[in-house]
This record gives sequence, structure tokens and C-alpha cells, in this order.
Amino acid sequence: MNNDVFFRYGVVCEPRPITLVLLSFYSRGATWKLPFPDHLLTVPYHPKIDGTRLCDKEEGKAWRSLNPRNLPSSKRICDQIPQFLMASGFSGDETAPFFGFLGAAAALVFSCMGAAYGTAKSGVGVASMGVMRPELVMKSIVPVVMAGVLGIYGLIIAVIISTGINPKAKSYYLFDGYAHLSSGLACGLAGLSAGMAIGIVGDAGVRANAQQPKLFVGMILILIFAEALALYGLIVGIILSSRAGQSRAD
Amino acid sequence: MSGSVMVGDSSSWSRALVKISPYTFSAVGIAIAIGVSVLGAAWGIYITGSSLIGAAIKAPRITSKNLISVIFCEAVAIYGVIVAIILQTKLESVPASQIYAPESLRAGYAIFASGIIVGFANLVCGLCVGIIGSSCALSDAQNSSLFVKILVIEIFGSALGLFGVIVGIIMSAQATWPAKTV
Repeated sequence: MNNDVFFRYGVVCEPRPITLVLLSFYSRGATWKLPFPDHLLTVPYHPKIDGTRLCDKEEGKAWRSLNPRNLPSSKRICDQIPQFLMASGFSGDETAPFFGFLGAAAALVFSCMGAAYGTAKSGVGVASMGVMRPELVMKSIVPVVMAGVLGIYGLIIAVIISTGINPKAKSYYLFDGYAHLSSGLACGLAGLSAGMAIGIVGDAGVRANAQQPKLFVGMILILIFAEALALYGLIVGIILSSRAGQSRAD
Repeated sequence: MSGSVMVGDSSSWSRALVKISPYTFSAVGIAIAIGVSVLGAAWGIYITGSSLIGAAIKAPRITSKNLISVIFCEAVAIYGVIVAIILQTKLESVPASQIYAPESLRAGYAIFASGIIVGFANLVCGLCVGIIGSSCALSDAQNSSLFVKILVIEIFGSALGLFGVIVGIIMSAQATWPAKTV
């Protein structure tokens, strides 16, 4: 077969003697099929295999000639491997769904983390102040509702992304995968931060509102600013995930 | 093959990822779906339970009503069980020649992402419901009209686990392996 190559000649990138000794066990009649042509594997001189011993200086030169750093780039297997992978059809696009799905996961998980933090922190504040002023509890649920909306933002982006990954209907390249990843991370991390803000402001706000009723409007204003942060993340996430269909303009 | 050498058009992440079997991703995803959900449920239960027991020393009437907070946390674990069982039915064995085909890789990634989503969304949901449940028990011990009002907050918290389950199930529908006969 034209492509049969003895394994020992495949060790151009590994000139260390000990490795060659170990691998020489495989060289006895073993064939190694490699998906690249033979002319790249021409080894100038191989001290171990050719069997003749030279003086030390010549032998050192022979070993050094095997070092891939001394070979021209067209003969270095390590430089050729990407081309061979691509010649056999590997372009990295098979792994693009990993990044897309991870983007959807990031969108939902981080938004839920923010929503949970906001809900829990302000909920504890509501429960504490409700002991003294039970009539204010229903009004003070506003921070909890605003935190819950963050989870919905994450859900929106996660569903947009995961229904946008459909390699049977439309090719899904690495560009699309990375666009979806960034979309999910943008929305998710923004939701996480907004949730932390809403939680801490809500906790302080409801406790203060119980003691000074005029503070209610101020608490709502601050909560709206905090919620806007998550909205920025949602907007950027939607813009990025709309880029995902625009790859390979050729 | 001589001539200009392109040192890889594909990204190095892709070259690393393509060496990992999709079965690895699927298995880890399913394990995370159930394991991390149960972690969230357990965390919530011990936060709620310890507060509930402490508050009930002076107000034993609150015990039976506030067990509902513990049940909300348990529901989070049930979500994890449901999704893990659904995901493991999506796990198929494909012939060895097709294990690294693009469709197999995508199925592995889909199960992995679905597992992460459900696991971590349930983790935070369990924590949230646990903290609110603990406050609910403490305030109910002092003023019994507060129980239902704080329960409303707890329901908002438990919606987060449902979001995770919804997205996880939508994503698991993408986990289609190549057909057995080539």
C-alpha cells in the first residue's frame, strides 16, 4: 500500500533516544497508516536504525538533523497536521454546538442565580419587617417581583439560542457557536449582577420603608435602575444572537 | 501538500473538544442534572429546617404549616430526577464508526448543556426557597398573619427551578444521535 509507513519513520518529531528505544519494539514489521503522503516523512539520517556507528560528533549531527526545529516547515509534521485534518474534513464546525449550548446554559443559570439572590435577600427583609408592620408586606413584594423578571430574561435568551441551533436546517459554524456563547454570557452575567443589586437594595429598602413610609418611591426608583442593567444585558444578548445566522457570507 | 503551511484554520478549542467522546459529555451532564439539583434541595431543606425547629420552640403551632417550605425544596430535587430520567432515555449507543460524527458530538453537547442548566438552576432555586422558608418560619412564629404573605415570595423563588426544567427539556429535544444503520 502506498500509504503504509513504518512507525519508526513517523517519529520525526520525537528524537529522544529513550523514546525511540521504546518505540523500536513497534517497528518490527508493524505498519502505521497515516493520512498523509510519504514524501513528508523523509528522514535524512537515523543513527539508531541505519545501524552504523559514527564518531560522536557525526552522530550528534545526525540526531540534531531529526529535530523538527531544524527541518523546513514544509517537512514538519506538526505544522502539517492541521492541513491533514482539514483535508479529511475537520474544520472545527462539528464542535460549534458545544459553544452554542453552553451559551444557552450560561444565560439561564447566571440569570437564575441573580434572580435567586434578589428574591432571597429581599424576601428576608420583607419577612423581618413584616413582624412589626404586617400591613406593608404586600406592598414590599415589589423587589421580589423585579428579581423574578431576571429569570424570565434568561429564559428568553436560552430558548432563542437553543432553538437557533439546528444544523439539519441551517449550517452551524464556529462563528454561530461563539455568537451564541457571547449572547448567553452577556445576558446571564448581567442578570447575575442586576439580581445582586436588586436583592441588596430591596432588603434595605423594605426595612427602611417600614420605618419611614415616604421612602417607598425612592426604593422603587433605585430598583428600576438596577433592573435596567439586566435589560441592557438582554438587549445585547438579543443583538448578538441575531448575528449568529450571518456567518460565511461566501 | 507542500507549499504554504496554515497552522490550523480551526480553533484549538475545537481540536481539543473533538477528542472527547460525546458519551463523556452526556454522562457528566446527566450526573450534574441530578447531583447538583439534589445539592440545592438539601441545602434549602437544612436552612429551612433548622430555622423552623428553632422557631417552633416558643411557637409549636407553626410546625405543620411551615413544612410546606420543606416540600417546595423537595420539589426542586424532583425536578432534577425527572430531567435526569428524561436525559438518560435520550442516551443512545451508536456504532463506533459514528461516535465522532458531527451529529453525535452535537447530541453529547446537548445532553451536557441540558444537565448543567437543570442542575445549577435547581441549585440556586433550592437555596433561595430555603432562605425564604427560614424567614417565613421565623416571622410566622411572631405573627401568624405573615405566613401566607411570605409564602407568595417563596412561590416566586420556586419558579426559577421551573425555568431550568423548561429550558432543559427544550434542549434535550436536540439530542438526536445518528441512525444505527448507516
